[in-house]
Formats: sequence, C-alpha cells, structure tokens
Amino acid sequence: MNDSFRRGAKEGFGALFPLSLGLIPWAMVTGVAMRSTGLSVVESMGMNLLVFAGTAQLGTLPLIGSGAPLWLIVLTALVLNLRFVIFSAALAPAFVGQPLRRRLLTGYLLVDGVFAVLSERLLKATDPHWRWGCFIAPAAWCWVLWQVFAFVGVIGAGALPSDWSLEFMATIALLVMLVPMAASRPMLVAALVGGIATVMLRGMPLKLGLVAGIALGIAAGFVAERWQDDRRRA
Amino acid sequence: MIEGVWLWITLALIGSTTILTRGSFIIPGERAKLPPVAQRVLRYAPAAALAALVAPDILLDAGHFDPFNTKMAAALAVIAATAYWRNPWLPFFIGMGVLLVLRKGLGW
Repeated sequence: MNDSFRRGAKEGFGALFPLSLGLIPWAMVTGVAMRSTGLSVVESMGMNLLVFAGTAQLGTLPLIGSGAPLWLIVLTALVLNLRFVIFSAALAPAFVGQPLRRRLLTGYLLVDGVFAVLSERLLKATDPHWRWGCFIAPAAWCWVLWQVFAFVGVIGAGALPSDWSLEFMATIALLVMLVPMAASRPMLVAALVGGIATVMLRGMPLKLGLVAGIALGIAAGFVAERWQDDRRRA
Repeated sequence: MIEGVWLWITLALIGSTTILTRGSFIIPGERAKLPPVAQRVLRYAPAAALAALVAPDILLDAGHFDPFNTKMAAALAVIAATAYWRNPWLPFFIGMGVLLVLRKGLGW
C-alpha cells in the first residue's frame, strides 16, 4: 500500500463513484428476477457471485426457467459477454507485468462502467502501483455494490406478490440496455434483424433459432456498417 | 426450470464465460492484439443477442405471433421512458405499471 497506489485508488474511485450508483437499480432488479425465475436465495447469490455480469445473468434467466439445453444457455452467456473480449484486448497493455493473481482478479472484476470511465486513465498512466490502485479500488467498489443490492432484491422479492409477472423485469432490464446501444443505424439493424429472425426461426430444433437469430443480427449489423461506410465515401 | 446440481453446473459454466471473455487478453499478460475485423464484428454481438432474447417475449403470445399484446405495450412504454428520461428507475416503474394496469385493471 504505497503512496502512489493510494493516489491511483482515490482518482479511480472519484471518477467512477457517480456512475456506480446507477448499478443499484440493476442489481436490485437482477435479484428480484433471479428469485421470480425460481432460484432459491442461496442459488441466487451463488449466481450473483459466480457470474457477476448483469446482462449474462438477466439474459440466461428465461432459458434457465424454461429448462433450455445447457449448451444453449452457456453459448447465450458467451455471446452476451463477447463485448468484454474487446475491453480485455484494449486494456491488456495496462496489466502487462502484473502478477497472475491480479490479472485473474481483473478478469473477474472488469465490468462495463470500469472500462468506460477508466480505460483512458489506465492506459496513459506509467506507474504500475498508481494504475493498480486506479483499477482495483473502483472495481472492488462496484462488486460490493452489486452484491449488496442484488441481495436486497433477492430478499425483497419474497415480499412482493407472486402474481405480478415480476419476471418481466428481466425483459425490461434487457430493453433498457438495448435502447442506447441501438442509437447508431447499423446497431439498430443488428438488433431488429436479431430479434425478428429469432422469432421467425423459433420452430428450429434444439432452440437453434436463438443462435441463428443472433448470428444473422451480427451479420446484418456488419453489412449495414459496410454499406454506410461505402455511401459516405461515395 | 433447471434444478439442483445441474443448476449449479449451469451457473458455474455461465460464470466461466465471464472470466474467459473479461480475462481473454488480460490474463495471458502479453501484448497481443485483436484483429480490427474481429473488433468490428464483436461490437454487434450484444445488441443482436439482447434483441434476440427480448423479441420472443414481447412478440409472441403463448407461442403464436401476436404483436398486439400487453407485454408489447409495456415494452413500448419502456423504450419511450429510456429514450426520453435519464432516470434509471423510471423504465421499471413505467413498464411494470403499464403491464399491471392492462392485465389487472383492464383484464387483458
């Protein structure tokens, strides 16, 4: 705990604190959604600790609830988490030279908000102590917030009436994440094609329609981006 | 609903996708780079996947295509609330509110 670690921690924490409060409704909704899918209190908190990724948790809950095949659930989680590969690749230079246990911990704690707010600071910094402080303090804070408020949701869900269709909260949460993403034209195309294709292909065996729908959505977004680029150049 | 040991196996495997993706380039600790084409393609994965998960819930009613249902009405209210206001709680109140008023109040 040297001085530059502490200064980095202060900087990172200060930068992320306001945004981190936005995690509170998510965590609570995720807690409620896990319970209304049918997970027990222990199973819900187990999921929250093991997965620690709101999108993957909310996205796989309907599949867990309907008893979908294991491979489909894992593949869906993987697709929902694919954006982290981009984050990981972008941030990797900031963690070269850190011990393995710190890099493993980073692989668990690197959430969207931490990447969005801190990646520039982390990549610019040259002092590894400062850098580690700037990452780990806000990342650990987000973890604590997420676990505490998911627990509030998990406990609170029992007090809510059971005939309120609370599982719809998961769908609302997924929509709230989707709306700002779909602000660019190619992203909107990816979402529309992904959604409509999945509905149209729902008759495919083994629930392959979901995988095919997502693949078509990604392809459509990529094609739309190329098309947009070509038109701009023309 | 998946239960018991299988549920825990499922949860552990979902969790492994978190570490595999977040740690993909950080854990090896080398200066590897992601090809630009892969980066561009990967950007569309979350939007396509989120829409693919949401669409069947709001476009289907008991397995049949029916876009005029209570969940669709609630979803449109959620989209409007997300697009026009920044309050993080509002979409949940509005979405659940519309759904419950239509179902309980109006008996749809």
